Amino acid sequence: MNTIILSAIFGVVMMFSGIFIHNRSAYKHIAAAALLVLLVFNVSEGNGFSLINVDVKYFLHFEKFGLLFNSICIFSTLVYVMLSGKEIEKVGNNVAESYALIFFVLCGVGIVTSYTNLLMLFIGIEVLSIPLYVLTGSDKRNLKGNEASLKYFLMGSFSTGILLMGIALLYGTAGTFLIEHNGTRMLSYLEALGLVLLFIALSFKVSAAPFHFWTPDVYDGAPAVFTSFMATVVKVAGFAAFIRLFEARTGTMGSQTDRLIGIVIVLTLAFGNLTAVFQQSVKRMLAYSSIAQAGFMMFAIFAVNDTAKEGLLLYAAAYCLSTIGIFAVLAKMEDMTLEGFNGLAKSQPLIAALVTIFFLSLAGIPLTAGFFAKYYMLAAMVKTGNYIGLVVIGVLFAAVSVYYYFKVIQAMYFKDGDIVLAPVTSGFKYLLLGVAVIIVVLGVYPNALLSLLYF
Amino acid sequence: MSTIEILFWFLSALALLGATMVLISKNPVHSILWLIIVFFAISGHYVLLNAQFLAIVNLIVYAGAIMVLFLFVVMLMNLNSDSEPKKNNRLKMAGVISGGCLMLIMIDVVRSASEMQKATAMLKEGNIGLIRTLGMALFKDYVVPFEISSVLFLSAMVGAVVIGKKD
Repeated sequence: MNTIILSAIFGVVMMFSGIFIHNRSAYKHIAAAALLVLLVFNVSEGNGFSLINVDVKYFLHFEKFGLLFNSICIFSTLVYVMLSGKEIEKVGNNVAESYALIFFVLCGVGIVTSYTNLLMLFIGIEVLSIPLYVLTGSDKRNLKGNEASLKYFLMGSFSTGILLMGIALLYGTAGTFLIEHNGTRMLSYLEALGLVLLFIALSFKVSAAPFHFWTPDVYDGAPAVFTSFMATVVKVAGFAAFIRLFEARTGTMGSQTDRLIGIVIVLTLAFGNLTAVFQQSVKRMLAYSSIAQAGFMMFAIFAVNDTAKEGLLLYAAAYCLSTIGIFAVLAKMEDMTLEGFNGLAKSQPLIAALVTIFFLSLAGIPLTAGFFAKYYMLAAMVKTGNYIGLVVIGVLFAAVSVYYYFKVIQAMYFKDGDIVLAPVTSGFKYLLLGVAVIIVVLGVYPNALLSLLYF
Repeated sequence: MSTIEILFWFLSALALLGATMVLISKNPVHSILWLIIVFFAISGHYVLLNAQFLAIVNLIVYAGAIMVLFLFVVMLMNLNSDSEPKKNNRLKMAGVISGGCLMLIMIDVVRSASEMQKATAMLKEGNIGLIRTLGMALFKDYVVPFEISSVLFLSAMVGAVVIGKKD
């Protein structure tokens, strides 16, 4: 509850700071301080301290998994604000409002990681998406951004309609919005249709194929800083919502949805990876790679066991941090194509090395967090004992992904070119170094994060 | 026939007539005016089901606000048959088939749902649709989502200002 209340309050605070403070670079520091406070209060809720005691049992239930997920999202946002604060200032005239919207998104994250009620799922998903429509179009002079924003808004509203239809059908069968139903019975027709509609709507939000068509255009059209936020924090929050829904229903569903999720996983992996291979723009390539990564995270939705939950946490941390790191560098570049990276290693050896670590983590090379994230996902699948073929497909596509990630590394190290990079402060470099250290530490000792789940 | 039955059949016929006219009118503005009639007929049905609140909200929100919005959009776009782009026939067929399949599935699911088969609508009885009951539910049982949705509206409002303000 702390996260939900405080992030809403901080959102309002950011809005008002837009009236009273006219120094544009101050917002970044206010936001960072607020995020730090938010992180502290979120962690302390795990130890039983909550700001106000209200009975929300029917709607929200706070447990370790959700709180840890919140912490990862808040921490990633903190890193994001510190790394990309300069770029946020450059987009449009309403910097304070952009930060306010980011805090509202975090409020949505707090809701979708702890809901027990379909009503809250709906509100959470909406609080998560509506600020994004605005952030996508916040660069008003950019026509591509406007188009992306409108497209995202229309498609998002449509998927919300599907979500509501699904909720209505589920309510029609059960007579309650609660998501807990135990016992291994067959689903009734209405329930099955409702669940499929919910599945479609949530797949849309996490951009799993075949509901991914908006992703490349929106991620490519939005300002690079906000793409970074959308592709990381918001996407993994969608998965948190997904796994909560399906976890509560494992009893009823059993193997009835296996095939559906299996098909979606294979399609997502295939589409994301194979299309990413052919991209020339790194920004667009990252959009497709985020679809591919979503395919991997879908394994957790398929398996829904303890390993899958641990894996999803690790995946969220690894994926968010590496992608935010890459985008922080990308946003400083003039030329966002592959050629733009030519010769980065010569002019900025440290940054090139760190970006290499981030790409290695995305590809899932051992000694980076991405390796254990993928490992846990596959281990969770093996544990279920069925559909081992899916694991093989996952490994094959992970190998494909190495190809396009390494193209960037190759461009940085083995090609010559004049790099055009916005001025980089030493603080930025140290922060980036810190993120890379966290990724390597998690890659060597993933229990550093996972043990938090059990204390 | 009792008054209620007469009203029921009258409203149903009106709603169906309106819906058909929405589809076959050539002029989009006429379509919208017919749609308003459909909403009025449906609101009448809600009143028959003793759901005053729904009836009023349906009128205010749909027949009022949303239809005005539709009218604005249609008038701004200045639609007429000359400027309309030619639609591919094969695409049309594909749309009809896929949409029809979804409709068939939905109809079949609702028809074969055992939970719904014995249930009938309550006429003249029950107080679920009364404003008093709704208020109690909204401010006692469902106060948490009610309050949290304020964040949703706030962010939408901030968004509208950010997008709409002149730089």
